[in-house]
Amino acid sequence: MRFTITRENLQQGLAAVGASIPTRTTLPVLSNILIEAGEDGVQMSGTDLDIAVTLRVPAEVEEPGAITVPAKKLQELARELPEAPARVTTTGERFELTCGKATFRLNGMPRDEFPTFPEVDFASSWRVSGELMGRMIERTSFAVSTEESRPILNGVLWQLGDREMRMVATNGHRLAKLTIPSDGANAPNADLIVPPKALAQVQRLFDPEDEIEVARSENHLGFRKDGTRVYTRLIEGPYPNYEQVIPKDNDRIAIADKETLTRSLRRMAVVASDQTHRVRLAFVGTALRLSVETPDLGDAHEEIEVDYQGDALDIGFNANYLLEVLRYMPSDEVKLSFKAPERAATVEPTEASEGAYLCLIMPLRLLE
Amino acid sequence: MPRRIQVLPDTLANQIAAGEVVERPASVVKELVENALDAAATRVEVVIRNGGKTEIRVSDDGYGMGREDALLALDRHATSKISSEDDLRAVRTFGFRGEALPSIGSVSRLTLETAESGGVGNRVRVSGGRIMGAEDCARQPGTTVLVRSLFFNVPARAKFLKSAAVETRAIADVMTSLALANLSAAFRLESNGRTLMELPATRDLPSRAADLWGDEFAGALIPVDHRVDGIEIAGLVDRPDAAVSGPRRVHLFIAGRPFRDRSLVAAAERGYRTTVPRGAKPSLLLYLDVPDGRVDVNVHPAKAEVRFGDPAGVEAAIEAAIHSALSGVDSAATLDRRPPPPQIRTPARESGSDRGPGTGRPGRPAAEARRTPEGQLAFFVAAAPDREPAEDGTVPDAAEQAGIEADNRYSLWQVHDSYIIAETRSGMLIIDQHSAHERILFEALMRDFDAGGRPSQRLLFPVTLRLSPGEYAVVEQTQSLLAMAGFEAEPFGGRTVIIHAAPNPHPWFDAERCLREMVAELAEGSELTRAARTQYERLAMTFACKAAIKAGQRLSVEERQRLFDELFATELPYHDVHGRPTIVRLSLDELERRFGRHG
Repeated sequence: MRFTITRENLQQGLAAVGASIPTRTTLPVLSNILIEAGEDGVQMSGTDLDIAVTLRVPAEVEEPGAITVPAKKLQELARELPEAPARVTTTGERFELTCGKATFRLNGMPRDEFPTFPEVDFASSWRVSGELMGRMIERTSFAVSTEESRPILNGVLWQLGDREMRMVATNGHRLAKLTIPSDGANAPNADLIVPPKALAQVQRLFDPEDEIEVARSENHLGFRKDGTRVYTRLIEGPYPNYEQVIPKDNDRIAIADKETLTRSLRRMAVVASDQTHRVRLAFVGTALRLSVETPDLGDAHEEIEVDYQGDALDIGFNANYLLEVLRYMPSDEVKLSFKAPERAATVEPTEASEGAYLCLIMPLRLLE
Repeated sequence: MPRRIQVLPDTLANQIAAGEVVERPASVVKELVENALDAAATRVEVVIRNGGKTEIRVSDDGYGMGREDALLALDRHATSKISSEDDLRAVRTFGFRGEALPSIGSVSRLTLETAESGGVGNRVRVSGGRIMGAEDCARQPGTTVLVRSLFFNVPARAKFLKSAAVETRAIADVMTSLALANLSAAFRLESNGRTLMELPATRDLPSRAADLWGDEFAGALIPVDHRVDGIEIAGLVDRPDAAVSGPRRVHLFIAGRPFRDRSLVAAAERGYRTTVPRGAKPSLLLYLDVPDGRVDVNVHPAKAEVRFGDPAGVEAAIEAAIHSALSGVDSAATLDRRPPPPQIRTPARESGSDRGPGTGRPGRPAAEARRTPEGQLAFFVAAAPDREPAEDGTVPDAAEQAGIEADNRYSLWQVHDSYIIAETRSGMLIIDQHSAHERILFEALMRDFDAGGRPSQRLLFPVTLRLSPGEYAVVEQTQSLLAMAGFEAEPFGGRTVIIHAAPNPHPWFDAERCLREMVAELAEGSELTRAARTQYERLAMTFACKAAIKAGQRLSVEERQRLFDELFATELPYHDVHGRPTIVRLSLDELERRFGRHG
């Protein structure tokens, strides 16, 4: 293998792929980056076996070939290179990089030891805009569960339908759902449960203007645009029936200024219990009284103005869950809906901006 | 008609009294050494032969007595120590009944040699209670009592004496007790020509403990220092991780006088609860002082027991004293092979210029108490420098007391996703993240129980648990308690339970597994559940154990800091709920030793 590459292209490729390479692994080759020189340039790949990332960068290839080299060392090296094109050659498992008058040799491992990428057939792919994809991921993936006994909840549900697609994530305490109209060109009707780490790579590696090609196999999902590809294992379903738990009859409605509510909640959170983060919300007329009481620490009270319709209501929440949901609300005002102190509450933006966004939060039971 | 009732002759009365006071050679030693200490001796030497059965010699360098006093001392109820009823209530000397010397004299062949400073020596010989003679003799100031042929005239009593080895051990125990109560006096015990005990005078309890039992034992003791409601408690107790090994020593003192009290030992053990495994027996060297009139020491002729006006208050104070001792960094387990002895502060002492009969001398806690408002315990007051307020007057928090500099507070390392290492002024702390979180969760839930329960996170997807009949019964019985702990578990019939709401202690918490394991442990019982004192505690312990962050959980920098801060906000940050350490210390000294830098 022999090629010449600019320092910038080398750095860019390494940085993009480096994030997918695990720092600690039982399989030594996984801490390596796969470098393949071909007609279209140089392709760099990394994987942690669940997610694989490939990126193509321009280079003058004189002799095609492939090798794997320690990713971290090569990345550090690329950062320190002088501003000159780098020339890469390989001899057997030896990787040699010359830049200006400096020469580096790293011991690599043969390509055969690198895991093969999942077979995903892009012939039956569908397309989705990078912007839409990014928005759906951002607004939902924060809500996934970090607890490992129910792997399904560790993933984001991506539902593809004829006229719309939807992402849903929940940890059993709160849920986020974004539904976006889509023409569904070529898209299969499918429920895909995708690890959020893979979605983060998609968000990072594709631009909003990109039309991303997506294809699936039995157990994997692939995303690609030009030379950039992300593959991920899919989490096996079925996803719990979330529609069933989203309340339809919440009849106590509050419209609140997002900023005002957020700031007040942040102040309350300071005094809230470390263990439960509980904040109490009392809606009466146009007033929302927020309060916290923490034994051994103290209490806090604040009243803010809201537009509230319905019977008076006293309800408790984990302040962190409320704050998190508010952070992702795209409008200045938010609509909160309730049924009863022990029932699910919903938070929605007041203006529908391309799609229906809904977050749901389960309350904390208040003590009498 | 002959008269049937007659007044006993003194010798017989003394023999009967001796039955109460003088049981065995050890009681002779106790009475005589106490007399020596009451006479302000700085050195007391006890020489015994054949377990004291053949001979006991107690010599001191105290005040000594003149001829008349020496004769009077052998008379019953003659004492220099009290003269009125008021004195009896506020008694501060060891002996006061005036029974000891005549009692001993009535059951042995006793020789008393004594001389006052500048006075002439006197020798009085007594045999079976009869004064056989009194003469001048040459001797240094002080007193020597030689007791030979104990119980020669009470064969029934002599027959009940144990072997020489057993009696010798009893004498050593008595001496130990007295040595612990009188640090500023030197003690020596010799048996059949062999030195069993050689204790130089000292200023602090750790050195005395080290002289008695060795550096290793003394190094595993932590200071106790507690005052509440007029009750003062000080001393040294086992560090919890040391309480499981080695022989146990229990010595209780009140106003400098040794006494026994099972319920106080039990109270101290309660103070250890959760910090030592169930059944572990910690050593206790505890010095109490209660306000005059709130203790009656005149319950037992050998004064081995006392009666408190408010025993429950004293027990509570002891428990609190231990609890507070266990909250300090000294109580943390250590990797050091030779931990430094506990830090004890000795206050500036008055000079001995005003010494004289009745007031004792400085250095004798019992006598000291009369003059210093702080009471005897000032002598033993234990205060590690770490605990004192900083120079700027700010009160340090627990982490600062542990020696964590503010700058190092947030450079916490996590190793093997299980332990957190923090740098301290004198070394490092190794924190077990699971044990630490157990302590945090346990105390938090106990607080929430006190507050009437805690809010619980309602679940979007209720969890269904199928249980064994025993486990199902546990859920039914503890349903309201579980609800206070945050588990809204509804028995659904057919051994099925539905969880509608659960606590949410950390992001990796598995409510289903936690409840399943809790219920299984509560149903089957375990060391942990048996160690609990109340239902609440049992549930809190089980919850803490099952819900705590597991070993192997990677923690972010912020999560480590939070764990660290929450741990040091607990009452007993160094101990988990199983009686295991949450923190192990490693000192720089020890590291340097291991790397061959010194020592």
